Formats: sequence, C-alpha cells, structure tokens
Amino acid sequence: MSGRRSGVATVFRRELATVVRTPGYGVLAGGLLVVLGGLLAAGGGGATGFVPAVVDLLLPTEALVPLAAVVLGYRALLTDAASGELAVIRTYPVSVGEYVAGVLLARLTALVGAVGVPYAVIGGVVWLTAAPDTGIFATHSGVDSPLLYVRFLAFVLLLGAAYVSLAAAVSALAASRRSAVALGALALVAGVLGGDLLLLRSLAAGASPTGVPASLALAPNGAFRGLVFEHVIGVAFAPEGGFVSTPRAVASLVGWTLLGPVAAGATLAYGGRVDAAVERVRRGIGD
Amino acid sequence: MPDAPVASLSAATRTYGGVPVLDGVSLDIEPGFTAVVGPNGSGKSTLLRLLVGATEPTAGEVRHPGATGPKPIGYLPQRVPFRDGFTARETLAFYARLVDDDPDAALERVGLGDAGDRRVGALSGGMRRLLGIAQAVLGDPSLAVLDEPASGLDPGMRERAFRAAAGRADGDTAVVVSSHALDLVDAHADRVVILRRGRVAAAGPLERLLDERDAADVRELYRVVTGDAGVGTGDAHAATGGDESDDEGDGDAEPDVHVTGVSDR
Repeated sequence: MSGRRSGVATVFRRELATVVRTPGYGVLAGGLLVVLGGLLAAGGGGATGFVPAVVDLLLPTEALVPLAAVVLGYRALLTDAASGELAVIRTYPVSVGEYVAGVLLARLTALVGAVGVPYAVIGGVVWLTAAPDTGIFATHSGVDSPLLYVRFLAFVLLLGAAYVSLAAAVSALAASRRSAVALGALALVAGVLGGDLLLLRSLAAGASPTGVPASLALAPNGAFRGLVFEHVIGVAFAPEGGFVSTPRAVASLVGWTLLGPVAAGATLAYGGRVDAAVERVRRGIGD
Repeated sequence: MPDAPVASLSAATRTYGGVPVLDGVSLDIEPGFTAVVGPNGSGKSTLLRLLVGATEPTAGEVRHPGATGPKPIGYLPQRVPFRDGFTARETLAFYARLVDDDPDAALERVGLGDAGDRRVGALSGGMRRLLGIAQAVLGDPSLAVLDEPASGLDPGMRERAFRAAAGRADGDTAVVVSSHALDLVDAHADRVVILRRGRVAAAGPLERLLDERDAADVRELYRVVTGDAGVGTGDAHAATGGDESDDEGDGDAEPDVHVTGVSDR
C-alpha cells in the first residue's frame, strides 16, 4: 500500500468538502461581515483609522469570534460518531489522532474563511478609506498602520482557533445534536465570561492587582484582550505596555487550542472502554 | 491461514444498563461465509459490533488472530451511515484513498457503476446498502462483517447483496452477515450461528446443523432451535421496500437493542 495517502490529509479533504457544501457557514461569514461593517460604521467608519477600528471591534469580537468558532466546531466530531460512520472509519488504517487532526484542521481552515476573511475585508475597507497617514507601515510606536490591524487579525484567529478546538472537544463528548448545542453554549458562556468573573472574584478576595497581567492571560478571552492592548492599541497610546505577559498569553491561546484535540482524541479512543467499565460496575451493583 | 479462526470470541458479554444483551458468547469465526440469525433483539447487531471492535465487551474477550493486512476488518453497520451530500463515488473514494483501492471498481463490483454520480441522499435504501457493502470490502479485509446486508431490499437486490457478500468469502477470508432472509442464508451460508436471548443456541457448519437437528433447511432449523413460529419475517421485511426505517424497528441495533431485547424476554 505504498500509494496510501496520509489519514490526516484524507480526513481533512473530506471534512473540508463537507464544510464547503454547508450553506450555513457561508451565511455565518456573510452575517459576520455585515455585523462588523455595522460596528465600523457606527464607530465613525473606516476613515478613523486602524486602531480606532480595532477599539470599536474589540469588545464585540470577544463575543462574535467565540460564537462563530463554536458554530463551526460544535458538531465537528459528533457527526460521524452519531451516524455510526466513525465505527466504519475506525476499521480503516487511520488512527483516532489522525482522524481528530484531519477534522480539526479542516474546521480551522473554515475558521480562516468564515471569520478571517470578514475581518480582512473590514481591514481592507479601513485601508481604502482611512486618512493618508494610516497607509504608512509603521516600524515604531505611535503611528496607526495596517500592520497593527494584521496583528489584530492574527490574534482574532488565535482566539477563534482556541474556541473551535474546544468546541470540537465538546462535540466528541456530546451524545446528540441537542446535547452538543447545550455543551457548546456552556463552553461559550464559560469561556467568554468565566475568566473575567474568576479574575474579579480573586481581586475581591484580596488578590494583588499586580498579578492581573499574569492571571488575565489564563483564559482565552483575557489572553486575546491582553495581546490586543499590548500589541495593537497600546502601541499607539502606551509604549511601556504591561497589559499582559505576551509569552504567557500566546502560550495560553495555543494551549487551549491543543487541549481540544487531546481531549477529543482521548474521548474517542477510550470512551468505549470507559462505557464498558461503567457497565461492569452497574452489573456488579445489580448482582 | 486455512483452518485457523479469523476471529474468536470467548465468553463475550455485553450489558446495557446492567442488563445483558449478549451473554457469555464463545465463538470461532472461520474463513468462509457465516450467517448470524436470530429473533429481533437476540443480540445479532451487538455480536457483530463486538466482532469489529465498535463496541467493547463488558466481560470476555474478542481476538482477531487471522485478520491481517492494512485493513483487517470491513464493516457495514445496520444503518448505512454515509453523508448525504457526497456522491456514491466520493463516498467510496474517501475510504479507497485510505487503503489505496479503486472506488470505481468497487462500485462496479456491487452493480452501482452507473450510480457513481448520484448523491447518497438520493440513493434508494437498497442502493445505499450496496454502497455500504462496496465500502466494507474495500482493501480486501480478512474479515468482512455485514449487518443485515439484505434488509429493506427487493428480492433481486437481496440476492445481489448476498451474492456480493458471499463472493468475498474464500479459504482466507471470512464474511459474517446477520440476516432475517433465511432463504438466502440457506443458499449461501457455509456456517450458521443462531442466537436466542443473547446466547448462542446453535452454531457450526450448516450441513452438520441440519443433520443434527433433522431439519430440511435453515428455516426449519431456525424454527426448531428458537421455537419461533413466526419465522420467515425476512421475506416479508424485504418486501417492504428500501426504507431503512424498517431496520430500526428490528430492535437489534444499539442503543435500542437492549430495551427491545429485554422486553421481548
């Protein structure tokens, strides 16, 4: 079988074809573009420049991107498991790890299309309509530039990747579409609000404010917000930075992204054994 | 590996909600064509799922000493699970890429050569099942396990499905099917396993079982072993046409099997 293609590439191709043929994801991208365009217009339009546009988009982005990412990922691994096709796929020489990686990479590619493209279009609009000095590619602080928006876009995709990955992990745990929706919604609310609420609680309990930059980076939204303040908004207004620990924030977002496939892979690989073990216990109790 | 079992179950048990659906089944699957028959809820689908590794036994062991190669096991579930949006060719191409096989040749083998461009969602129940058979035998597995390959098919399709399955069985390859179509089992099976209430009521070469029970054919053997006077439902079932929802009423699919199976007892 020397010509056999890699399991990851084959699963990726199938999953991407499924995504491309799902009209709802096109609607998602279009809807996101409309909302972002509306937010930009409400904030004064593209003429205000890149950093003001990022300031206008930052807070809604913390809810919109996780929402879009959860929509992209909440059924990613449930579909085959629920239909029974996963049992068929597992008779082929493709490991659980390859399967999860293929599905997740396709969903992350979909994230670039459904979330990255609308944000890039908004960046293009700002570029075309902003005042002349925003066209300068800044290499130092204090100047509004497209480079800052590119950084913002990169952080948006990192945030989205973390949520797609977590939603995919949740989809591996779900037993039905309804439970996938419920678990996805729970993950969304916990992710968007949970980190900040825990931080506020720890401050109220007497934790030192000097620990905020480190604590902020632990949750995906806090890490994203900190990075945007540190490397986009803060570049123009607060050269000394200190909003968040950059390595810690990046590691947090990458870590959340990696946690998803690990959790999903473990669920798919060992779920059957756990189920059988639970049955043994039940039968033992029954006896 | 002639005469060596391709797969074997020893004291394999599976429970759901603490209730056994399959209870202490020990069985060797030899090369050739083996048919698993039994009343609804007798544990046929669970036995097949254990055999392919889709379900873990709660006790006992399942081994595959003679199942070798890049894809040792092929499996067609009772409910054919392919994605509706793909064409038949695209569906098989996905699986064929994983084992370096030819999807068009696989479609031809089951008589679906002209249906390659039709979406799975637009195929009849029978054609979906034939597509599932084509998928299960991709990569020449040593063990092909087909759950109700003739269910919901018209008489011509049933015969075609069984012929396609039986054609794979040889001295090195085992094909295991579950079915209610006892006439087709009679015509094609080398060995028969009869399940009753989650246990093996009879198993072995068909000719031997017929001699031992003094039965003229599989239908009579089934009646003698299970005491089921309502035998022959396979034909009536098939005559209902290609609606797969018929299969769900069978009650032998997970996770419903244990509920129906228990209530039948």
